[in-house]
Formats: sequence, structure tokens, C-alpha cells
Amino acid sequence: MAAQKGFFTDTTLCIGCKACEVACKQWNQLPDDGFLFTGMSYDNTVHLGASTWRHVAFVERPVPMKPGNDGAFSWLFSSDVCKHCARAGCLESCPTGAIIRTEYGSVYVQPDVCNGCGYCIVNCPFGVIDRREEDGRAWKCTLCYDRLRADMQPACAKSCPTESIQFGEIAELRERAEKRVEKLHEQGLNSAYLYGANAAQQPGTEGLNAFFLLVDKPEMYNLPPNPTVPTKPAKAAWGSMAVGVLGLALAAIGSALLGGRERAS
Amino acid sequence: MAVRYRDSVEPVVTDGRDIDRDIGELLGEGAQQRSRGAHDEHIAEMAERWQALPEASRIDPTYYDRPLLNESVWHWAIPTYYYVGGVTGASLALGAAVQLFADRDLRALVRQCRWIGFAGACISGVLLVADLGRPMRFLNMLRVFRPTSPMNVGAWILSKVGAASSLAAIFDFELAGLSAGLSGLGLATYTGVLVANTAVPVWQESRRVLPILFGSSAMASAGCLLEMVGDQRGFAVARTFRISGQIAEIALAFAMEKQVARIERVARPLRSGFSGFLWRASAVLAASSLLVTVLPIKKRAKKFAAGILGTLGSLALRFAVDKAGLASARDPRASFHLQRAQLNFTNMGA
Ligand code: SF4
Ligand code: SF4
Repeated sequence: MAAQKGFFTDTTLCIGCKACEVACKQWNQLPDDGFLFTGMSYDNTVHLGASTWRHVAFVERPVPMKPGNDGAFSWLFSSDVCKHCARAGCLESCPTGAIIRTEYGSVYVQPDVCNGCGYCIVNCPFGVIDRREEDGRAWKCTLCYDRLRADMQPACAKSCPTESIQFGEIAELRERAEKRVEKLHEQGLNSAYLYGANAAQQPGTEGLNAFFLLVDKPEMYNLPPNPTVPTKPAKAAWGSMAVGVLGLALAAIGSALLGGRERAS
Repeated sequence: MAVRYRDSVEPVVTDGRDIDRDIGELLGEGAQQRSRGAHDEHIAEMAERWQALPEASRIDPTYYDRPLLNESVWHWAIPTYYYVGGVTGASLALGAAVQLFADRDLRALVRQCRWIGFAGACISGVLLVADLGRPMRFLNMLRVFRPTSPMNVGAWILSKVGAASSLAAIFDFELAGLSAGLSGLGLATYTGVLVANTAVPVWQESRRVLPILFGSSAMASAGCLLEMVGDQRGFAVARTFRISGQIAEIALAFAMEKQVARIERVARPLRSGFSGFLWRASAVLAASSLLVTVLPIKKRAKKFAAGILGTLGSLALRFAVDKAGLASARDPRASFHLQRAQLNFTNMGA
């Protein structure tokens, strides 16, 4: 097994240039989603989906970047992507086995197996994977599996001019990320923290192979504050089903006995 | 394929990839993805989705009020399947119980239960395949066994129900009748797990009740059908089955709403909008079906009125749950409020 690879996205370095979005579309030869103005800051991409595997979020805040800074405005950018979760909702829910974990630890959808049932879509706690109507199958970021096999880094990380998107071995990325948080704290940006860097930080997903450094609430970036692989809470549903099976069996037997007697009398 | 820059001297024909096939080859990992380009309907749909204007809130923030989750792509076939699968499973279970515990002269009822089960299993299969993005690949569902995926488990259950009910209905195999009844119990209830095992807040929060609720609704709908079209000697059995199902259905729907409403925002789709209307309607219809049962009217009119009201109630329940999930996925605050509450809860525990 090759070393576990992933992304560390340091949003404090992102300048919102969308080079990653373009590189991803170009390398993977993905079709467009229409060209429209949204009125949401500079974000006309809006959300990840079947043909959008990188999305830069633009957050306009009516507060300064650090307390004490001049002005009452700051702009946050963050390049969002599939998190390649350690416990991935999409993978665990896929009934065909189309979604697999690769030798790099990434989560990969095999397009020749997927039958487009759509179950993964409602099982991703981050709203990443989606189905394109005319294609019928589910698609998402592959962590550039083809490039990794050829010893190259993913297209988005390669194109990022500020190293906001860093690709590498996860253990090493984690160390680097922790140092970066310390440094930012020293510089007075006390709001900096890591999102999903390990299982302790995000028990629901047991850590993300693509984790982030953020400076505001996750909700501001359209990230969930406590994402959980749906399989975990669903244990209660299986328990409820057991009760249902038992109840249904008893009710059927009861009806057979009672109804049978009523007819006889 | 769409034409871009239609009015320019050289209009460009593209499927949205902007790759000149004379120069570039389509080898990328997304190159296989079929696309008609940014065609007009697609653009209109996207434009509609993006219409909402940003709402500034620092206390209860969202990202321009955009949804957090991608909403379900299932169409009407899936909630219809919840209903048909329920009728199938519950009638097979009733058939097996009557076969074991009632007199021989109820054989006609047993046979009818098996036929309803067999027909229902076939219709269920058609509905499920119809909803796939790639219907020809439906057999891929059985390529693996994956207990973490209720959909995979369900595909196996349905296959078993189909096989056993066909043997029971066509060849009258007693053992197959019992086996179909056993797997029918699973078929009538697993759909609740299927819905609950998702990231959609209102679905996830219903997990403790939904499988039992779907099971009772399955009893109600199978009872309704058997009362209306079934053998008259088995009428009392079907009616007992339906009435117990409906009482449970009403009580459990109430219990589920209460569970879900622990976080107000999560319960919204059950209380407002079209899904809320359907949710209320399902309880009202089930209650009226029960009421009709005790009215002093002609037996024939009674069984049809009760049966139709009950059937509509069960259908409304399945569609209410489906539509509530769509509304819930569209509301980022449903997820955010739920998850913040979970975090506060763990912090208090620590
Ligand atoms: S972010 Fe969503 S699509 Fe990506 S691995 Fe996690 S569950 Fe799957
Ligand atoms: S849509 Fe495809 S990848 Fe997603 S769960 Fe279904 S078969 Fe698996």
C-alpha cells in the first residue's frame, strides 16, 4: 500500500483566483455548468457537483480580519473539494461497490460500475457527490487518481499559485498544518484552527484526508460543524427495524388468530 | 450538443468541454461524463436555483443561504416503491401467519396474499430499475454484499422475496410461503432504515421510529387492499390487520414528529410546505379510515371507503417523508442547528 495522500487547504493563503477550479475542469475534461452571475460576491460556481470538483467560496465579513485591524471588512476565500473522509458516507452507502478506497487512501467512484442509484448523494454529509442528469452516474473528485499513478500531484494543487492547496502525505501535512496554526496565533490571528485534521477533531468522519485551516465558523464556508458518516447514527434505525419486524410478525399472527376466530363464531 | 456564441461569425458546437477534438483527446477522468453542454433547460434550472439573495447573519450564519447538501435525485418511483414494497412485505407476512395459525378454510386468503406479494415484488423491481440513472446496470446491485448499505441489503431482501413469493404463488410450495413471509417482514421495514441512513437532517432524526412506522403503514395498506379485493372468508383477518396497523401508524407518526422536533428547524418540513400538508393529510386519512370502520353504513360501502382512505393515507405518508427530505436538504440551517446541538451536548458531557 502506498503512503496515504491528501490535501491540506490553508484558506489564509487563498487569493480566490480559481486557478484550481480551472485546472480541475481542464485536466479532467469536465463539461461546464452554464455561465451565470449569482450576485454572491465573486462566487459564480456556487457548490460542488457532478461536473464541479473544486469550488472556491467567497465570504464577505463585516468585521476586520484580526481584532484591532483597521476597517470593518474582511474577505475569506476557501477552495472546497471532496474530503476523502476516513469514514466516507458515499462509500459505505454505495450498494454496487462502485465507490472504493484506493491505495492512496482516497475515495474513488468507478464510472464503469456505478448504476446511478443516487444513494451516495444523500449520504455525503458535505454535499459533494452528485449525479449529472444526462449522464446518469455519480461523479466527484478523484484526487487525480490518474496523475497520482503517474507520480504527479493533483492538478489543483499543482496550479495553486500561493500553496493554499498543499498535497502530500497526510501525516506530514498534519504536522505542517499544526505549525501553521501556531504561527498564525503568534501573529495575532487567534481565530485560526484546523477543520477535520484528525479523528479527535472530527469524530463523526474519523478525520478527513482533505482537511482545512479556517478562521471563522465552518458554517461561514458552507461546511458542517459536526459532520457524521450516516452509518453511525443509523445503528438506531437497524434497532428500530428489528422492533418493527417483531411487531409486524406478532400483528400478523394476532390477526390470523383473532380474525379467524371472529369468522368461526 | 449545445451551440455557444450562437450569434458570432463562427458559432461553436460544444458539449461544454471546449476541447477541440482535432487537437485534444478525451482521456481525462471526467471525460466519459455525458453532457449536452450548458443547454437552455440546464441554464434555466441553475438560474432558478441561484435566485435567492444573500442574507447577512453573523449569529446564525450560512453561506448565502445556499444548501449545504446535494438533494436527493429520486423521483416519484421511490416513494411509490416504499408503498408497494410495504404492501408486498406485509401481505406475505400475513399469508404466512394465516398459513400457520388459522383454519384450512382460510386457504383462499393465503393464496391471495402470496399473489399480491408476487405481483408486488415484480412491480417493486420495475419501480427501482426505473429510477436508476443507468437502468441497464441494475444487476450491479447484487455484485457485492454490503451490510453498511441499506440499499444493498434491500436489493438482496427484494430478490429473496421475489424468488420465494413466485414459488409460493405459482407452485403453492408451503415452505416458500413461510420463507416469503419471513423476508416480507424485512421488506416492509427496511425502507425506513434506507431513508434514515442518510445525511438529510429530517430523515436522520426520524431513525428511531421510521422503520416501525413504515412497517405499520405497510400493515394498514395491505389490510386495505385485502379487505377490498380479498376473499370474504378472510375479511375479518384483513380488517384486524389493517386496524392494528392504522392505530400504530397514527401513534408512531406523532411519536416521530416529536422526536424530530427536538430541533425545531429539523421538523419544519413536517409542519409547513407541501411535505407538511402531506404529513398532516396522511394522519387525517388514516383516522378517517378508522372512523368509517365504526360507522353504521352498508358493509360494502364501508370496506371500500375505509380501504380507499387508508390506501391514500399510506401513500401520502411515503410521499410526505420523501418530500420532507428534499426540503430538509435545501435548508442549511437544519443541518447546522442539529449539529451545533450535538456539539453542545458532547461538550456538556465532557
Ligand atoms: S466528502 Fe462526501 S463524497 Fe467525499 S469522501 Fe466524504 S462522503 Fe464521500
Ligand atoms: S449512484 Fe453509483 S456511486 Fe452512488 S451509491 Fe449508487 S451505484 Fe454507488
